[in-house]
Amino acid sequence: MKKHEEAMTLKGGWSVEYNYAVGPTGSKFFTALKDEAKIIAPKCPKCNLVMLPPRSFCERCFVPADEWVEVGKEGTIQAFTIVPYFFESLPDPPYATALVMLDGANTAMANFVKNVDLSNLKEAAKKLAIGKRVKVVFEKKREGTINDFHYELI
Amino acid sequence: MKRNAAIIGVGETPFTSRQDYTNPELSQQAALKALEMAGMTMDEIEAVVYSMAPAEFLGVLDPDKWAVGAVGGLNKPFMRVHTGGATGGSAAQAGYYHVASGIFDSVLVVGADKVRECKDSQQVLNTIWDPMYERQFGLTTITMAAYQAVRRMYKYGTTEEQMARVAVRNWANAMNNPSAHLKGKITVEDVITSPYYSWPIKRLDTCPSSAGGAAIVIVSEKKAKKLCTRPAWIKGCHEIANTVFMGDQMGGAADMDYADWDELAMAAKVAYRQAGIVDPLKEIQVADVYAPFTVTELAIVEALGFCRKGESEKLNESNFFDMDGEVAVSPSGGSLCNNPIAVTALCRVCDAALQVLGKAPPKMQVKNVKNAVATGIGGSFQFHTIMVVGSDHN
Amino acid sequence: MAEKIAILGIGMTKIDGAMRDTKLDDLVFDAASKALKDASLTRKDMDGIVIAACDELDGRSISSMLEAAPSGSYLKDEIKVTDDGAYAVILASLRILSEHFNLSLVVSWCKMSEAPVSDVMRMRWDPFYHRGFGLNHTATAGLMAGAYLHKYKVSEDISARVVVKNRQNGSRNKNAHLQKPVTLDEVKASPIVSWPLKMLEFAPESDGAVAVVLASERKAKELGRQPIWVTGFGWAVDSYYLGDRVLYDSPSLRIAADKAYKMAEINKPLKEIDVAEISDFSSYHELIAYEGLGFCGPGKAADLIRKGVTENKGDLPVNPSGGLLSSNPYTAAGLFRVAEAYLQLVGRADGHQIPGVKKALAQASTGFCAQGNAVFVLSK
Repeated sequence: MKKHEEAMTLKGGWSVEYNYAVGPTGSKFFTALKDEAKIIAPKCPKCNLVMLPPRSFCERCFVPADEWVEVGKEGTIQAFTIVPYFFESLPDPPYATALVMLDGANTAMANFVKNVDLSNLKEAAKKLAIGKRVKVVFEKKREGTINDFHYELI
Repeated sequence: MKRNAAIIGVGETPFTSRQDYTNPELSQQAALKALEMAGMTMDEIEAVVYSMAPAEFLGVLDPDKWAVGAVGGLNKPFMRVHTGGATGGSAAQAGYYHVASGIFDSVLVVGADKVRECKDSQQVLNTIWDPMYERQFGLTTITMAAYQAVRRMYKYGTTEEQMARVAVRNWANAMNNPSAHLKGKITVEDVITSPYYSWPIKRLDTCPSSAGGAAIVIVSEKKAKKLCTRPAWIKGCHEIANTVFMGDQMGGAADMDYADWDELAMAAKVAYRQAGIVDPLKEIQVADVYAPFTVTELAIVEALGFCRKGESEKLNESNFFDMDGEVAVSPSGGSLCNNPIAVTALCRVCDAALQVLGKAPPKMQVKNVKNAVATGIGGSFQFHTIMVVGSDHN
Repeated sequence: MAEKIAILGIGMTKIDGAMRDTKLDDLVFDAASKALKDASLTRKDMDGIVIAACDELDGRSISSMLEAAPSGSYLKDEIKVTDDGAYAVILASLRILSEHFNLSLVVSWCKMSEAPVSDVMRMRWDPFYHRGFGLNHTATAGLMAGAYLHKYKVSEDISARVVVKNRQNGSRNKNAHLQKPVTLDEVKASPIVSWPLKMLEFAPESDGAVAVVLASERKAKELGRQPIWVTGFGWAVDSYYLGDRVLYDSPSLRIAADKAYKMAEINKPLKEIDVAEISDFSSYHELIAYEGLGFCGPGKAADLIRKGVTENKGDLPVNPSGGLLSSNPYTAAGLFRVAEAYLQLVGRADGHQIPGVKKALAQASTGFCAQGNAVFVLSK
């Protein structure tokens, strides 16, 4: 296969905007976050799984999950990472995220962990270890999105 | 009575960062190679399955439509399959079912990708996550691998050095594969000192963004016996979809831990049963696996039954998974050295089939391969494909 | 066909304009749950799931990641196609005929209201030779309609009458998106979107999800069911390059139909088929489909319209559901055609039921100007 010496390049792009319907389940969750600084989660009526992030059905039992419980404002780190690298359109590094199992929930939910010194990755990784406890910190100004809160190491 | 089908032709273009050919052109190059090996013409192909994952990397949507003419699909039954990174594995299985249905005697499974056509693949890979609950945190496939690595470290004490050995072996293997994108003699030190993308995942723990095409020709038993002295029979295949939520695979209520790939083990059980494989370590000589990150290979080989959970770290320190070891894992260099997302999993099938066909590049060819297994992975380590190819059929 | 595929049940959500209150996941869950319930089966019973979706219209770059769960796929063998929901029926059928699967759930969906549709369609054209001059899905359809108009010189009344027929039918379908009939004058007076196609000659943009439960013949008998059978199916694709195509005809539809008819042992479709649900993305798509499906000879679609053959009281009612012109959840549209054909056969099409249906046809298309087509024959 011959390589073309003067192969051309054409620049192009698209900017796409979507209007995602949040749905009643998500709306309920975000409203509680915004108006009451509370984290609520749906529970499966069959297997009792308390699920975060919220969804309107349990995929294991395949039934609607319309019971809600309030979960604790503290939890345990189940997984984490620290991103020191720049990726197009993504947050300015460094930032740390963790999947946290809040007290009372059965699944872990992602968010930033914001009170850790990230200048030394190895040290930061020790602080953010699995099993460490974090607390939910609600933003003063909340808009009904997942950024209305973040985690901080206790 | 289940019908037998075999792969008798395989084609892969060389894979690089950037290709001065379009997606249809790359697909065609791979298709022609596969047809040549099969000893067939494009006209003899009765149906086409197009392997194409997210098209945002390429910047042309539904490129399967664009590629119709290039791959001999005109006027033929033609469909695209898309299961994220597992696409190539799913497409190969879809091709198999076309033939196993009894309706078709020959099918071409083909595709191509140009992951670097866009500025940064992770920008696209951020948009695979839930728009309301996850995208906001810079989640990518790299952070996903980081979460898995952190779970493994916690569960099994995995070290970054142990992860690095996976890269060392794959890069060395890739030197025997003219198609592979990345290759070379690297050391554990090289991997450990490469820059962090998302702790603990470093550059050399990570797959490249590759461009190129791949294709296979699958035929019925009658045609296989007529055209090929040593077909690669598709003896077993299965797919499985896990939950998309990584956080559902952690803690007491989880059906399985994110550190492991129990769901791949479930799929392997089905595929092995179909293939009549009882002792994978004894009966499988080659496993060409889709490990886009070093740590994922550790989970895969355990799920495939080559060792127990948590053992692969230690075994990597020996020659257990080397070309001359107990089972050759990714003699092609695997997905760590080559990741043209739309067809990566198809390349795994290609490379496994080449081993059974006895047509792998000489230094990549393992001797006396009776059974080879190819895996695929897509989504949040969610979609798993497995295919067993072998030199005999049921 | 040596073995037939059984349809044991279907589930449809309402098709509507912007369903701002419903998350996509929930729409999919609704359709999947309904289908399982209709088939008196559970998710546990399924050994395979085949789904069909378009990432870019879903706004989720690997849509199946998030929609696999509501499709019932947790820890199941699930695979996704992208052409159209009807293609998921094809792949599911191949899997069943291979004897590796016995009970499959097929699910498809689309919420056009969430997506920048025109831009997505623009991006489906290659950047080198097609994108430079404003081609999207409606402009491309205009090229097709113009080609047909030039070749066969039909009056604008003919294509307008397709719209009047289908919108009238949609007004009797409580599940349709658009349920208000339109008059001939209204259609003719609607603004030109892409000459010669006027606004009312295009399908709307809709939200909807649909699911179907398929079974092998053996399994259906084992379960003691009297299902509807898919007795024939076929699919084929045309060239991508418009200039390579004969736009006033659909060779790929002809090939797909011939394959389906051969399998189903149909020789005279106009006589033997009792109802057809076809993909009328525009009024001209329906005219061209009549010819591709062999309902009439080349250029004779206008005759069928003039004689009322495809009206509900005619010899072969087409789109009694209202078709795409009344409801267009794009990627799922073809699977809705299969589901509507099914409803006609089981006598559950309520207000839009055609009496005495024994054989039905469903047609789905994919790509610009129906580049690809799939045809199904369903029988009692």
